[in-house]
Amino acid sequence: MISKLIASVKKEALLLLRDRVGLSILFIMPMVLIFVMTLIQDAAFKTINEKGIPIVFVNNDNDSLGNQIANGLMHNDLCSYNDSINGKLATAELAQKAVADGKFLVGVVIPKGATEAIRKSVTNLVNQTLDNSNLKASTNIAISDSVEITILIDPVAKKSFINSVTSNLHEFISEIKTKIMFQTFSEQIADVIPDKKNAPKSAYSQTQIIKYKEVYASKNEDKIIPNAVQHNVPAWAIFAMFFIAIPLSGSIMKEKNEGSVFRLHTMPSSYLLLVNGKIIVYVLVCMLQFLLMLTVGLYFLPMLGLPKLVLGNSYFAIFLLTMATAFAATGYGVMVGTLASTEHQAAIMGSLSILLLSALGGVWVPSYVMPEVMRNISAFSPLNWALSGFYKLFLRGGNVSHIIYDVLKLMFFFFVTMIIAHFAHTKKRTV
Amino acid sequence: MNSTAIIEIQNLSKTFKGATEPAVNNISFSINKNEIFGLLGPNGAGKTTTISILCGLFPPSSGQVFIDGKSLETQLQSIKQIVGIVPQDIALYPTLTARENLSFFGHMYGLKGKDLKNKIEIWLEKLGLSESANRLVATYSGGMKRRVNLIAGVLHSPKILFLDEPTVGVDVQSRNVIIEHLKEINTEGTTIIYTSHHMEEAENFCTKVCIIDNGKIITQGTPEELISKNESTTNLEHVFLQLTNTKLRD
Repeated sequence: MISKLIASVKKEALLLLRDRVGLSILFIMPMVLIFVMTLIQDAAFKTINEKGIPIVFVNNDNDSLGNQIANGLMHNDLCSYNDSINGKLATAELAQKAVADGKFLVGVVIPKGATEAIRKSVTNLVNQTLDNSNLKASTNIAISDSVEITILIDPVAKKSFINSVTSNLHEFISEIKTKIMFQTFSEQIADVIPDKKNAPKSAYSQTQIIKYKEVYASKNEDKIIPNAVQHNVPAWAIFAMFFIAIPLSGSIMKEKNEGSVFRLHTMPSSYLLLVNGKIIVYVLVCMLQFLLMLTVGLYFLPMLGLPKLVLGNSYFAIFLLTMATAFAATGYGVMVGTLASTEHQAAIMGSLSILLLSALGGVWVPSYVMPEVMRNISAFSPLNWALSGFYKLFLRGGNVSHIIYDVLKLMFFFFVTMIIAHFAHTKKRTV
Repeated sequence: MNSTAIIEIQNLSKTFKGATEPAVNNISFSINKNEIFGLLGPNGAGKTTTISILCGLFPPSSGQVFIDGKSLETQLQSIKQIVGIVPQDIALYPTLTARENLSFFGHMYGLKGKDLKNKIEIWLEKLGLSESANRLVATYSGGMKRRVNLIAGVLHSPKILFLDEPTVGVDVQSRNVIIEHLKEINTEGTTIIYTSHHMEEAENFCTKVCIIDNGKIITQGTPEELISKNESTTNLEHVFLQLTNTKLRD
């Protein structure tokens, strides 16, 4: 029995090694996919995060408000600050045209006299308060604020992205406005208080009552920042592992077409033994594929200036999940090869179904951005189980206990595909 | 010749799914040990269906088969161990060498180690394939493929060997070598069940023939008996044409 299994494994390995097209599908294609997809996504990520959002700033105010906003935008990593267009100082008209042409994503126009308007408004407020010092109506007095700052938006930009940028700008501009108002208020009060030593100091800028700290909720010992590499390497490695369905189903179909399966059915060896030979070889190939993809993420992508893949805390959990994914992918290939009637049919059935399962599984587009209906469907894709498992390990710093449910689901999928393949095989032989 | 039956077929019928007519229709015959039994008939007569049932490729619709005293229905696995088959189509892996193919099929029959290696070398030598044994089968000529196809079926020294048109599409030289070695296997104790369209080859090779048409047995006996039954027939081909008529078959 063991010698039959070894012979079957050896035969399968030799057939695979001599199938150059199949080998290139298994190893070169996913490597190329990882390089291309990671570079593309990383470039998009860099445009926003490293170079910053291209902003054109028109400072017609030329006073505290305009200057402080300009200074703030200049020193903000999220922004790529520009106050000139084609060598000319930006004006409201030029800025509007440039944003409309897509040269900048956002334009900010500070009107002339904006700072002065704020100061006047505060002075009026102070005077009014002091003049009516006997009245308890100070809380009902509104600060007249007629300063209108224009924010120009590229019509092509995504709404969610623009909302996020403009709300940040609003918050930033409001903070500077408040600071100016507070300073003016302090100066006005100091002028009317006889004992200037006790006058309130403008301490606004030094005081930050509520602070914010953003931390990724990961159990990882290393600080992992989600990036294109952390997402793409596991995603495309899983895709490649499932793509094994094509050469594997092709190998099953070839055996049928070349007649060797006819001879095998007349031999005192069970179909399961022959299939096991295939499963062992292809599971090993899947493991090798994954190892190669990890190598790409660890060593080759950093050579291209991309971040290095961080593997998380548990190598054993990675091994376990990879093995379960390899079994699920191989089982799927055996099922496709058994259900198909021709090599052509197996290739189409295999490739289209993997593309569909990978799209549903969140390989192409993360499942969390999908509509709810698609997210619910996505939960049935074995690629989604594998991918969410690797995210738990690579991004959330999980261990075996965090992925065991995904491993069990993948192994269950493997057994289901094998049962379907067994019944399909038996049915096809019942003529 | 030992007259004990090694294969007993009783009322065997096979109707394929969706077919209106049976491919094999209630046939009964027996094959004695050490016989070279020719199963002859025109295209679609039911020869390959009968052989496929005997090899356990699919079950009959009705009837019983006993091979070496064992029931095909209940003891298929132990029957497979003593049976060898040389199918009509080449059943080899084209991207493996002849030696790799034979090693794999030998293992599947339970052979291993030195015994398997020796048998492979002996057969490669006998059929003139030693020098090309490490070449991929895909690069072989039709005759060479037929010879490897034959070795894969006889490597485990089966008690019964099924040959489904083993010499189709090969040159005279290869055919002679194949027939010569099949006779040698037979003298060593293997019973051969053989199908062919070559009537002359069957006449010279078989010790007994059975002509079937439309799934039914028309006649059976030694070639000499069948030829001498009718004065107008001088060879097996005449007998065959007289019994199955000259009408073209699908």
